[in-house]
Amino acid sequence: MISVSNLSYAFKIGKKGKENIVPVLHDVNLQVAEGEIVAVVGRSGSGKSTLLNLISGFIQPEVGNITINRTNLSKFSESKWAEFRLNHLGFIFQSFQLIPSMSAFENVELPLVLKGVSVPERKVRTEEMLKRVGLESFKNHYPGELSGGQQQRVSIARALILNPPLILADEPTGSLDSENEKQLLSFIKELNEKYGITFLMITHDHEVASIAHRKVEIIDGYLREGRMLHEVQR
Amino acid sequence: MKFKDKHRFVRSNMKKNRTRVWMTILASTIGCAFLIMLASIGFAIHKTAVDDVMSFRMVNEIQVQKESGMMTENDVKKLEQIEGVKAVTRKKYTPANQLSIGEYNTFANVISAHMPSEEKAGFELDKGRMPKNKNEIVVGYHFAEELRKDQPENALEGLSEEEAQKRMKELSYKGNLLNETLKYHLKTDNPEIKIEGPVQTVDVKIVGIGKKPTRDWAHDNSVFITEDLYNEVISILGKQDPKIASADELKNYGDVKAFTASADDVKEVTDRIEKLDYMTYSIIKELKQMNVYFTLFKAGLIFIGAIAVLIASIGIFNTMTMAVTERSQDIGIMKAIGATPKTVKRIFLLESAYIGLWGVGLGTLLAYITSYGVNFALPIIIEQFVNETPPEGFMLSYIPWSLTAIAVTICMGVTLLSGWRPAAKATTVDVLKALRRDV
Repeated sequence: MISVSNLSYAFKIGKKGKENIVPVLHDVNLQVAEGEIVAVVGRSGSGKSTLLNLISGFIQPEVGNITINRTNLSKFSESKWAEFRLNHLGFIFQSFQLIPSMSAFENVELPLVLKGVSVPERKVRTEEMLKRVGLESFKNHYPGELSGGQQQRVSIARALILNPPLILADEPTGSLDSENEKQLLSFIKELNEKYGITFLMITHDHEVASIAHRKVEIIDGYLREGRMLHEVQR
Repeated sequence: MKFKDKHRFVRSNMKKNRTRVWMTILASTIGCAFLIMLASIGFAIHKTAVDDVMSFRMVNEIQVQKESGMMTENDVKKLEQIEGVKAVTRKKYTPANQLSIGEYNTFANVISAHMPSEEKAGFELDKGRMPKNKNEIVVGYHFAEELRKDQPENALEGLSEEEAQKRMKELSYKGNLLNETLKYHLKTDNPEIKIEGPVQTVDVKIVGIGKKPTRDWAHDNSVFITEDLYNEVISILGKQDPKIASADELKNYGDVKAFTASADDVKEVTDRIEKLDYMTYSIIKELKQMNVYFTLFKAGLIFIGAIAVLIASIGIFNTMTMAVTERSQDIGIMKAIGATPKTVKRIFLLESAYIGLWGVGLGTLLAYITSYGVNFALPIIIEQFVNETPPEGFMLSYIPWSLTAIAVTICMGVTLLSGWRPAAKATTVDVLKALRRDV
């Protein structure tokens, strides 16, 4: 599903021509199989979010290749990346990233709108998805009127509405209480088992990492695969 | 993303900042209305001038003259053979102008005309037919009004203008003149020639009455006689006044006009006539020169008006820049889940276009209302305060569709240009920065 090879990235800080180059990722290689849940763990500043941002296309790699679903994305333009994200990727963010001026229904509907799906089909699919995440009675509520757990469920519904084969999650439980965290993790497991959706999650939470089939660790920009949780903690 | 969804998206965004958006629309409205109103003054002056010129002449008429001497029958024939010439009218002035019926008498403008050419050139009758025989004539629409009973020379003394006109009307011929026979007094109009004994007359029958002139102020009391009758009249008058017999202007045509089938042909036909060394004058020629000056004048006014639109566009630029800044998180989220830069740009361009459209629509409406109001109220104000009546058909503001089209194009163009930069800025919103905003 995901193939990252020889990926390196460095931030350029400062004025043009006088930039300080701060290397973040060094020669990263990562393979994620279809239907797998992979947790990327690492300390703050280790480069795990940068890796997710590169795989999401939010930043462009300088060295190395990223392939998703056999599509080499390294040389994609911004427009092509946007289209690819819409058609193949779903996103779950730590802070939900819902548009505050849109209702839960409109937020979930947004990817369908961007895709140009007809209004009647959009209505059916959005209502079905809100039902699936248990928010059918909150469809007209705005994000500000929902709890953190409900907002994250809206965010998941939005990520799933176009049935993407891959979901990228950046600290998905970061803003949730333990009860909501448990619910979310069981939901992710259910989605993976029932529908075979692949998950790549960035987390430093042990609970979250525990549902993953495989964990990879990033230490100072270098990726180490297959370390056990207690080793990562140490 | 479908247009309908973009429209819905833009509408909901505009509703969020209703006051700001409406103030921007108001600025665009005023700018657009100012542009149209200012230019409409130029258009009104131009129209008044053109109408004034056109009221005297027909558009497809070309007056033809020789550099020296008068136009002869040969010249007329030459003109008739030119490609594009529909008819050549030729008129001769007749130096005897008194006609009478019973106790009614008039001194009219008697013209010898080639009636088939006149008919071809567009001369139309209100009643009757064109002359077929020598002593048949056609009179102008107002001829009967000028046919009056004789009255003493001081009959109108002491009367006001209104009373005098009323009195004159009372004295006018009231009956139907068609098919009536009049006496044409064959006495030369040269006051130095005295005739002893009764003046010789010839009976002429009115077989046609000309159509009413389109202009209310135009007064047509002319009399058209046939060329045969003209020759007879000139031979009789020649005996009274030897100068008439030898006068060149009575043998040749004093007024020759070439007519084209349409106004579009006038230029080409004029060129062909001028190639034959004739001098020409046509309304198109006059209008062409006039149009150059007025186009410059109108362009100047439009330019000044466009400055107001430019000022309004700064408002649009500010509003759209603020909208982009305020919504950068929304833009970031949309881009993150799959909105292309093109979609983002189009949404913001559509928003500025809507502001422009509202401004242009309301501005145009406001300009039309103001224009109507000014044209309606100004004559009243002039009459009330200056105690003078403005000329007939006078207008201070005239908004033709072309002006509306120009104004709409300028306003929409400026609006889209001012919205372009903020829309382009929206596409460059960094997704990561936007997503991190509330973290």
